[in-house]
Amino acid sequence: MSEMVGKLFGWVNSRLPVSNTFERHLSKHPVPSKVNFWYLFGALASVVLIIQIVSGIWLIMPYSNTEEEAFASIEYIMRDVDYGWVIRYMHTTGASMFFAVVYLHMFRGLLYGSYQKPKELVWIFGCTIYLAMMAEGFLGYVLPYGQMSYWGAQVIISLFGAIPYIGESLELWIRGDYYISGITVSRFFALHVVALPLVLIALVFLHLVALHEVGAGNPEGVDIEEHLDDDGVPLDSVPFFPYKVLNALVGIGVFMTVFAIIMFFFPEGGGYFIEMANFEEANPLVTPEHIAPVWYYSPYYAMLRAVPDKLGGLIVMGSAVAILFVVPWLDKSKVASIRYKGIYSKVALALFGISFITLGYLGTVSVTEVRKTMSVICTVIYFAFFLLMPVYTKYEKTLEVPERL
Amino acid sequence: MIKKQSNSNIKLSKFFVAISLLISINGIDAAEGGPCKDYGECDEFKYSLNDMASLQRGASTFLNYCYGCHSLQYSRWGRVSKDLQIPEEIFFDNLVFDKSIKPGDLMIGSMSKEQSAQWFGVAPPDLTLVSRVRGDDWIYSYLRAYYEDSSKQYGVNNLVYPGTAMPNVLMALQGNQKLVCKDVPVIAKNGGEKRDDFGNTITKEKCGYLKVDEGSGELNKEEFDSLIYDLTNFLVYVGEPAKAERERMGWYVIFYFLIFTALSALLYREYHKDYHK
Repeated sequence: MSEMVGKLFGWVNSRLPVSNTFERHLSKHPVPSKVNFWYLFGALASVVLIIQIVSGIWLIMPYSNTEEEAFASIEYIMRDVDYGWVIRYMHTTGASMFFAVVYLHMFRGLLYGSYQKPKELVWIFGCTIYLAMMAEGFLGYVLPYGQMSYWGAQVIISLFGAIPYIGESLELWIRGDYYISGITVSRFFALHVVALPLVLIALVFLHLVALHEVGAGNPEGVDIEEHLDDDGVPLDSVPFFPYKVLNALVGIGVFMTVFAIIMFFFPEGGGYFIEMANFEEANPLVTPEHIAPVWYYSPYYAMLRAVPDKLGGLIVMGSAVAILFVVPWLDKSKVASIRYKGIYSKVALALFGISFITLGYLGTVSVTEVRKTMSVICTVIYFAFFLLMPVYTKYEKTLEVPERL
Repeated sequence: MIKKQSNSNIKLSKFFVAISLLISINGIDAAEGGPCKDYGECDEFKYSLNDMASLQRGASTFLNYCYGCHSLQYSRWGRVSKDLQIPEEIFFDNLVFDKSIKPGDLMIGSMSKEQSAQWFGVAPPDLTLVSRVRGDDWIYSYLRAYYEDSSKQYGVNNLVYPGTAMPNVLMALQGNQKLVCKDVPVIAKNGGEKRDDFGNTITKEKCGYLKVDEGSGELNKEEFDSLIYDLTNFLVYVGEPAKAERERMGWYVIFYFLIFTALSALLYREYHKDYHK
C-alpha cells in the first residue's frame, strides 16, 4: 500500500515540482535563527487572511446583495442562521485584526529596514497588498447597508468627484447609479467577494515568493548569506519547519486568544470595529450626526479633513499611501536596523508613529479648531518622515553592524 | 556606545511624555454634549440576560405597551418564547393578540407605516436593534426622563430626547413627572461643600430635576425603575438574541486557545533546545 502511494507520489513529483516547492517555501527554507516578536505578524496576517476567506465564503451563502434585503439578511444571519453570528463576528473581528497585524507588520518593516536592497519588491508587493486591503475593507463595509455603510460610501465615492474633468462621470461609473443604491451594493459585492480576493491572494503569493528568493531579514540587519556552511546553508539560520513553525504557533495561540476575547466579548470594539450607527438601515434622507470611518482608515480620514480643499485632501490622502511604495529609495542609510541607525532616524520613526496614532484618533472624532490644527501638524510630520528620510538617514552617525547574528 | 544609546532613550521618553500630554489636553477639549443631552450623564445600565424572569417581564411590558406601535421586525415570535423559556402555549395565549400568528412569523407589528406617519408625524421606528444603535444606557435613561410640558403636543417632553415625538405611554404607571428646582449645596474650589461663617452649608437653587407627583402613578419610583430595567433588558436581548450564548461560549474558546498556546510553547521549547546545542 505505502509502496503504491510512494510510486504515485514519485509519478506526480516527476511531472510537478511538489516536494521541491514544498521544501522551498514551507519546510526547508532557511530563516534567521534569531528574530523577535515583531517577526510574527506576517504569519499572523496569513492566518487572518484564511479566517477572512473561510468565514467570507460562509457569509456569502445567506447574504442577499439587494437594496431591499441586504440589511435584513445580515440580521437573518445574526438570528436565524445556525451559528451565523459566530461566522459574522469572525469576519468583522477579522477585518479589524487584519489591519492591526498588517500595521504592526509594516511598522516592523520600518523598524528593521525590511525594504532595503534586495527586498524592494517584497516591500512593494506588501504595499500593494495594503492598498488592495483598504479597497477590500471599504467595499465590505458597504455590504451590510447600514447608515454608516451608506454615508461612508457616500463620502468616499464623492472624493472621486473632486478629480477635475472626469470626476463626476467617474463617480457615476463607480456607483452605477445617480446615488448609492442596490446597483452599487451588488457591484461592490462582486468586487468584494471575487475580484479583490483574487488580487489579494495573487499578491500574497508574489510577496512570499519574492521573500523566499531574497531571504527573510532579522532585527540586527545582518546578512546571514555572508556566512554559509559546507552545504551552502547560512550558519545563522534554522529550517522553517519545525523551528519557525512552532515559534509561530505560540504566537498564533496568543493572537487567537486575543481574537476570541474580542469576538466573543467585545465584537463591536466599543463602536470602533462595528459602528453603532451601522445597526440602523441605510437611509438616503437622514445623514448621521457624525460620519466616521472604521478605525483602520481614520488616520487618512484625518488627513483628508486637515486639508480644506476636497481635491487637495484627496491628493494628500493618496500621496500618504503612495509614498510608502518608494521608501526603499528614500532610505540612504548604510545600515538596515533601527538598532544601528542614528538618533535622527530614531526620533523620526518615533514622531512618525505618534503622529500616525494621533491622526487615527483625530479621524474618529468630530472636528474642532484645535483638532484641525493637530491634524495639520501630524500630517506634516507624517510626510516629513518620508520626505526628509534621504537627508537624515545619510547624514547621521550609524553604529557598526556585527558580522554574525 | 552604550551610554550614548541610553542618553537618546531619555530624550525619547521625555518626548513621549510631551506628546501624551498634548493628546490628553486635546482629550479634555473633546468633552462635548453626551448622548443623553439635557439629562446629563446617561444612567448606567447593566444587562442580565440570564435573568429569565426579568426578560419575561420585559417582554410582557413590551408587548402590552410598546408593540402596538413599534415592531420588532427581525425577531420571530417562536424564538422569543423559546429563548425566554416561556412555554409556547402560555406565550401565544397571553402575549400574542393576533391569533393568526405562527411561531415562525416575524414580529412585524400591526400598524401600517403610512398611517402611523400620518398620525404621529413620523412612523414609530422598529425597535429590534434600538439597543445596538442607541445603547442600553440611553434607553434606560430615556424611558425615565419624561416630564410634564404643556407646550408640547402630548403634554410631555423628554430630557434625554428633547422634542421626542413619542407620548409618555407609561405615564399611568409612572405618574406625573415634573421638572422641579431644589436647593443644592454650593461646591467650593477644593471640592467640598461651601459653608458660611457659622458652619452652615451655603445652598443655591438649581432647576432641571425630575420629580414624580406622589401617588399620581400606579407604581412607586423603585417599582417603575425596575419595570424599565426589565424592558431595557428585553430590548438588549432582542437586539442580539445570541448575546448570552456568545458570552457563555467565549469562555470555552478562550480556554481552548490558552491550552493550545501552552502546549505549543512546550513543544517549541523542546525543539528550541536542539538548535542551541
